[in-house]
Amino acid sequence: MTPTREQFEHALRSLRNPSLRYADIRWTATHQQHVRVRNGEVDALTATVDRAIGVRVLAGNGWGFAATSHVSEEAILQTAQRALEVAAASNMASTAEVVLSDVDPHVAKWASSYRIDPWSIPLQKKIEHLLAATEPMRGDHRIHQVSGEVSCYRQEKIFASTAGSFIEQTTTEMGGGIEAAALENGEFQRRTYPNPFGGDYQAAGWEFIEELDLAKKARQIRDEAIALLTAPKAPAGRFDLIVGSSQLALQVHESCGHPTELDRAMGLEISLAGGSFMQPDMLGTFRYGSPLVNIVADATIPGSIGSFGFDDDGVPAQRFHLIENGIFTGYLTGRDTAPAIGRSSNGTVRAESAARIPIIRMTNINLEPGTTPLADIIADTKRGIYVDTNKSWSIDDVRLNFQFGCEVAYEIENGKLGRLLRNPLYTGITPEFWRSCDAVGDRASWQIWGLPNCGKGDPLQTMRVAHGAPAARFRNVEMA
Amino acid sequence: MLSQEQSHDILSRALAAANAGEADAVLISVDQNISRFANSNLHQNMSEISAGLTLRVIVNGSMGIASTSSFDDAELARTAELAREAARHADPLQNFSGLYKENEPVPQLSTFDSDTAALSPMAKAHELKVMFERGREAGVQFAGSWLTCAASVATANSHGVRRFAEMTFSDATVIALRDHSSGYATRCARRAREVDILSLGEEATFKATLALGSHEEIAPGTFDVILEPPALAEVFEWMNMISFTGQAYEDGSSFFVGNIGKRMAGENVTIADDALDPEFLPFPFDLEGLPKRRTPLIENGIVRGPVVDKAWADRLHLQPTANAWHLGSPEHGSAFHIDVAGGNATREELIRSTKLGIWVTRFNYVNGLLEPRTALMTGTTRDGTFLIRDGEVAARLPNLRWTQSIVEAMSNIEGLTKERRRVATWFNMFGGTIAPTVKVKGWNITGVSSS
Repeated sequence: MTPTREQFEHALRSLRNPSLRYADIRWTATHQQHVRVRNGEVDALTATVDRAIGVRVLAGNGWGFAATSHVSEEAILQTAQRALEVAAASNMASTAEVVLSDVDPHVAKWASSYRIDPWSIPLQKKIEHLLAATEPMRGDHRIHQVSGEVSCYRQEKIFASTAGSFIEQTTTEMGGGIEAAALENGEFQRRTYPNPFGGDYQAAGWEFIEELDLAKKARQIRDEAIALLTAPKAPAGRFDLIVGSSQLALQVHESCGHPTELDRAMGLEISLAGGSFMQPDMLGTFRYGSPLVNIVADATIPGSIGSFGFDDDGVPAQRFHLIENGIFTGYLTGRDTAPAIGRSSNGTVRAESAARIPIIRMTNINLEPGTTPLADIIADTKRGIYVDTNKSWSIDDVRLNFQFGCEVAYEIENGKLGRLLRNPLYTGITPEFWRSCDAVGDRASWQIWGLPNCGKGDPLQTMRVAHGAPAARFRNVEMA
Repeated sequence: MLSQEQSHDILSRALAAANAGEADAVLISVDQNISRFANSNLHQNMSEISAGLTLRVIVNGSMGIASTSSFDDAELARTAELAREAARHADPLQNFSGLYKENEPVPQLSTFDSDTAALSPMAKAHELKVMFERGREAGVQFAGSWLTCAASVATANSHGVRRFAEMTFSDATVIALRDHSSGYATRCARRAREVDILSLGEEATFKATLALGSHEEIAPGTFDVILEPPALAEVFEWMNMISFTGQAYEDGSSFFVGNIGKRMAGENVTIADDALDPEFLPFPFDLEGLPKRRTPLIENGIVRGPVVDKAWADRLHLQPTANAWHLGSPEHGSAFHIDVAGGNATREELIRSTKLGIWVTRFNYVNGLLEPRTALMTGTTRDGTFLIRDGEVAARLPNLRWTQSIVEAMSNIEGLTKERRRVATWFNMFGGTIAPTVKVKGWNITGVSSS
């Protein structure tokens, strides 16, 4: 069942507690379909529907949250009472005052757009599309495995709060990609398109998969996987590094997106994900990067999976700077964290589903494009390395010391791309790295990448975020 | 939490709706509370009652899977139709001999504790409040989380196999913070009384305040390291993903490929998947209904084999290992109960035997995808990293980055403690890792965090 507005409001009215300060109720229905082919046969076909109700209350200085997968009027009322009981426990052990920034009441509907409904495409067509895309990668004895996958996602969400909001939102997403894995003489190499770990994702319909034109890229991916088997190992040492758009998107995610989450900076996520080196007393003065570095959070970009109409506090989606001309200027915040830095929520609190507590999550965190064409950046590099497409990622618990591995690298000599190199690893310290940025690619090299698997929280919540990035150059970076 | 009768009623209706030659289904219901704290304040507190059903049908040898969180007949019929539609479009599973039929008896294991199931958020909050007060007296602040959970797990298939188990679980982590130093402690168990939150607070405080006045830095290089169970657990979670699963074995990325029966680690390395060990986190069957058994992965340094689900056992001509934790999952078998054998040493003996080395409490953000065939991994240390000089703790160290082949490291283990500890994992409630503290020679430290 889909709960009615009257049922939501009845449940909110049922929360009778003299110390109640705020409450909200969310309902979600999350539909997913996943199709994967491998070596010319269908490897996985799954369909899931997950429904949940979540009630969040603030009583005194204690938050309580309760959720259920049983969606009925009775279950909503029972869940609301459990949330009150949990809040009472929190309030009993509370040692800090909870301050909420103001929010206006909103009654609204929002939906992402698409041209071709992902669920309108028959399974057979999805399978045939993937088989056609992966077949050109087969046939060489060194290719051990080829695969392709598409994923359809739709979440319907209703939010109601004691602030007077009633908001209905629907997000529809589509993702997909292909992969070739090569194996010979104990060497294993993998190449993916357009991105690893399931491909790229957009808030779109089947038209996005058609636009990816997976089949057209298949032979190139296969040839690169084979070539990587015998390519020289990327050298260790210090080099000028040009990072391609796909890899730089993940660099933004790990070294700017996460450390600018205010809950991390306040120590609220320290037990699992860690903290942040970017502390509130650094706001407005800390030089995070070179003056070329502008990073914005923008939840309003049409077609991106980090976009929405309202966050799970009922705050409208917004666009704002995290890094402006290299200076740290902003955090991702929610209603119960923003007051700690004297600000109002900028609307980034979300939960994976109604069964989870909303916490600060990235939206679309984008490195803004510069003015230099990528070809000019390469031509201007005397001795360097070009890397792209993430293979491994690791960063310390305050987001300073990072190490990334990429699928491919090319050496650069005297302004020209040279040999293909395998297993590139680069490492650094976040602000040192971003301060060394001396060229940012123009809009032609800028692309927004959907990441549907950002993990945070306990229990772990997987959030759908995105990052726009051009290619950019960083001087004197350590390759491992 | 759903009872056996409720669970099997839903499963029976789901199998009837499947209307296929073969079908199986899993129903998991969970009643859990997670209390999260930071800055010695209980800031997130959640209670969840949920249930989910996964239905798998086999149509002409092809598999289709659908899942739902609603169990009325109409929804089960819709779910069954989705699964059948998927199966109709899938290719037949290679060499598949059908779903599990043997219906052998499952081991009798103690998996449920009524006191744990009854532990309320308020009772936990009282314990945490005491810990916070003790922390203030000791000059530390606490962060962490404390999960208590009761769950029922039911499986059924069209060959008459029926399984049901109730399970409880308690898992707590505590980080103590003082100035720029931190310490960590964790415990998990089927019974909440074995997870003493106040003791964890004391252990974390000890680590946060050890050698507090002495800070040193080291340059990258190779060092002897003493790794505590939480550090090993994160490494072996990755080993599971890149080396132990049926899929990693089939796609060639696992170092097991071509090395079964060969010595790839020191004789003192024995690793198994073992859900039967009563000291660990016991569970009697996998989600295809097969009785759990001890499956050796590496035995006295010799590679034995991957873990698989039924379909991949047939496909790869391997014996079933009872490691299906999701029906039709892309891993095709996963080691959820990683059991690392201990030795005879104590942690103190390992420290005393170290001329120059590093004592590591835990790792952070390990990644095992660098070069899977050698299990080359990277990560950093956190929450208690200490320099050992001449057999004694000499100083606190900053967090360190390491980049290390775990295949190589498993040949360089110089000592293991007799004491082993359970460590939970974030991605399932069934198991985790039980491991000793180990001393490894020649671990590659490749960077220093400037935090």
